[in-house]
Amino acid sequence: MAVSSLTRALGALLLSPAPSLPQIAQHPRLVCLGGNLLPACHGFSTSSNLSTNNPMWKCRIKYTTRPVGMKKTGGRDHTGRIAVHGIGGGHKQRYRMIDFQRLRYGPGSESGSYDEKVIQIRYDPCRSADIALVAGGKQKRWIIATENMQPGDILKTSRHIGRMAVSASEGDAYPLGALPVGTLINNLESHPGKGAQYIRAAGTCGVLLRKVNGTAIVQLPSKRHMQVLETCMATVGRVSNIDHNKRIIGKAGRNRWLGRRPHSGLWHRKGGWAGRKIKPLPPMKSYVSLPTAAARA
Amino acid sequence: MAGLWWPARPAAGALRAWAPRGPHRGKTAKVPRRPLPRTPWTTRGPPPGAPLPRSWQDKRPVQEQIPGLEQVTYAGKQYFVPWLARPRLPRWERGWHDPRHSPGPRYEAMPLYKERVCYVCHQRTKMLEGVRQALWLTKTKLMEGLPPKVLSIIDEPANQLENEDERVQNAISHARVWITTELIPKRESYCPVLLEDLLHLCRTMASKYPSLSKRMLARDYKVAAAWERESSILQVRGMNGILLNAINPLLPVASKDEILATENHILETFHPISPTIDLQEVNVYEERHDTGFREGYPYPHPHTLYFVESANVRPVRFRPEQLRAKMLMFAFGNALAKAKVLYGDDPKVLEHPVVVQSIGTEGRIFQFMVFQLNTTDLASSDGVKNLVWIDSDQYMYDYIRYLPGIRKKVVKFPPGIYGYRPDTFKKFLALYLHGAVQDSTQTQIL
Repeated sequence: MAVSSLTRALGALLLSPAPSLPQIAQHPRLVCLGGNLLPACHGFSTSSNLSTNNPMWKCRIKYTTRPVGMKKTGGRDHTGRIAVHGIGGGHKQRYRMIDFQRLRYGPGSESGSYDEKVIQIRYDPCRSADIALVAGGKQKRWIIATENMQPGDILKTSRHIGRMAVSASEGDAYPLGALPVGTLINNLESHPGKGAQYIRAAGTCGVLLRKVNGTAIVQLPSKRHMQVLETCMATVGRVSNIDHNKRIIGKAGRNRWLGRRPHSGLWHRKGGWAGRKIKPLPPMKSYVSLPTAAARA
Repeated sequence: MAGLWWPARPAAGALRAWAPRGPHRGKTAKVPRRPLPRTPWTTRGPPPGAPLPRSWQDKRPVQEQIPGLEQVTYAGKQYFVPWLARPRLPRWERGWHDPRHSPGPRYEAMPLYKERVCYVCHQRTKMLEGVRQALWLTKTKLMEGLPPKVLSIIDEPANQLENEDERVQNAISHARVWITTELIPKRESYCPVLLEDLLHLCRTMASKYPSLSKRMLARDYKVAAAWERESSILQVRGMNGILLNAINPLLPVASKDEILATENHILETFHPISPTIDLQEVNVYEERHDTGFREGYPYPHPHTLYFVESANVRPVRFRPEQLRAKMLMFAFGNALAKAKVLYGDDPKVLEHPVVVQSIGTEGRIFQFMVFQLNTTDLASSDGVKNLVWIDSDQYMYDYIRYLPGIRKKVVKFPPGIYGYRPDTFKKFLALYLHGAVQDSTQTQIL
């Protein structure tokens, strides 16, 4: 949850000037907040700080692949009261800025498709999936790794939708209109250019069900159907770390290391947790704004 | 029931344990609004001409809509009163330019600003592709191992110190063990000390070869070199390492045939990654060539560059591949600056190639490199290329045991150096003697 609010706040981070994203600040220089970011260092700096007191640590504008120190909230909101119970403690974590907008062109190169090479795949403390450092052109960035990604792979990203569907290999990113029906996808956007917000957890994948005049319908891991424009980008394959749901926590201490505080022991009579729940599928969620009847007529 | 573990229910009218306190005391939770009913307006949007419901209209604050209704602030009074609104005051201007309180000129306003970007390699640049990237940027061909001329210096028995192994092991023990009263010294302390001790051992050979005394070490000097490589401007700038200067330059290591044979070699590219990745992009720059020393310096020719990689923390320390790339870039930078000073700015194939050696270490692993600059025509990828001989990852010893290994009250593994290899120091010494030994052999022939 913290990560999702974080990614919303970082929605305007500038890896390179992308025309469709709003910009938080027009200031071209790096926002350097206070002197407490870097410890006193003589000559060269050591590895980046482990944590920070700065409440504005999320508001970094310039993209970097170096990990950024985080400030834990403990479930408290801006008033200081607990907004979400059960969060607190846990191992210190540093945030690696992940680029969810897979189709990002460098300044001045607006070509159709480009390749990127996977340099390194590593564990990310902020999410269940693994992350991969990819390099293409002059830039390096972190992306969510897919299941069979290895260092040295070449990933293709393209925004061209042809008449024939592309035979996509795992890890490539294409618009939904270019993929064949039935491919497993992850990192799906709801609106073109918004950045991936769906199907990012470890081992998840969505299925492209059908393509209907200019839109595509995807089944999410919760079996809900979602209708989006066919120009929305998605990555092919399952997200990495597929055995994440099979792990056994083993002891209460491990949950504490993950930052989860114990539940309240009070029995809530009407909690609704017990018993089997059989519900019909919720209706299909459509992110496509169709023209009104008057305009269509 | 007596002895309940949870507190008993508080009296009626008293504050519940989880009720809000402070300014929100007594407020009840707002009932959340039910979702909007499904009507043609809510699903398809209102028809174009119809008036929008209140909640969907654009709401500008009332003060903006009605002219006479702006907030009354204490700006006119010039002092604060608690019942008037806080004014938005204009930003205070100093009226005169104070250099200590001004943000400084923007990049576009600086005199050296150029539209075209320049890529700078400095001493903290860690290149992604390592030596392959440096080879492309400097238009160089790689040869494994040290050149045969240097290897022949190793083979000659006259080029060894007395008690060489013992003296080198003493130097290693000094740096790694005796330097501090604590048990284990940090890399920041032992790495420079080891290099100094090895250089001192090399200098003791000056009694045999007098031309060794015609050399001088220089630290903390800044080099500047600029060149163009396939439509990108590249620069090497800044402090690099310890430079050993000599009065006489190093003679070329490769023969003319080998130099002409490099014309057929094709430089390796690494497709999705651009060769200028990880280099700093600057728009404000000046293309200049500077060896770091003024004219009239008594030791004009660069001989060997020593790089000490002594960062304590592993993420900051250069890995061997990145260290070799840095050594290559700075050896090239020094050679190019010297070539431009000697032979002028025009790009051409050099009649007398410039040779610069380079040794890099992080306290245990040594990288040896001999670089020969054959051409300053670097704009295209064809033609004569420069040459570099790299001997990488030479271990001087395997590990140091600080505490004795005692099994069953008997010292089985005494403290000291384990896995010492004498070849590494022989190569170190050979690179040091490289220019001087030739002089003596030539004088012998004469």
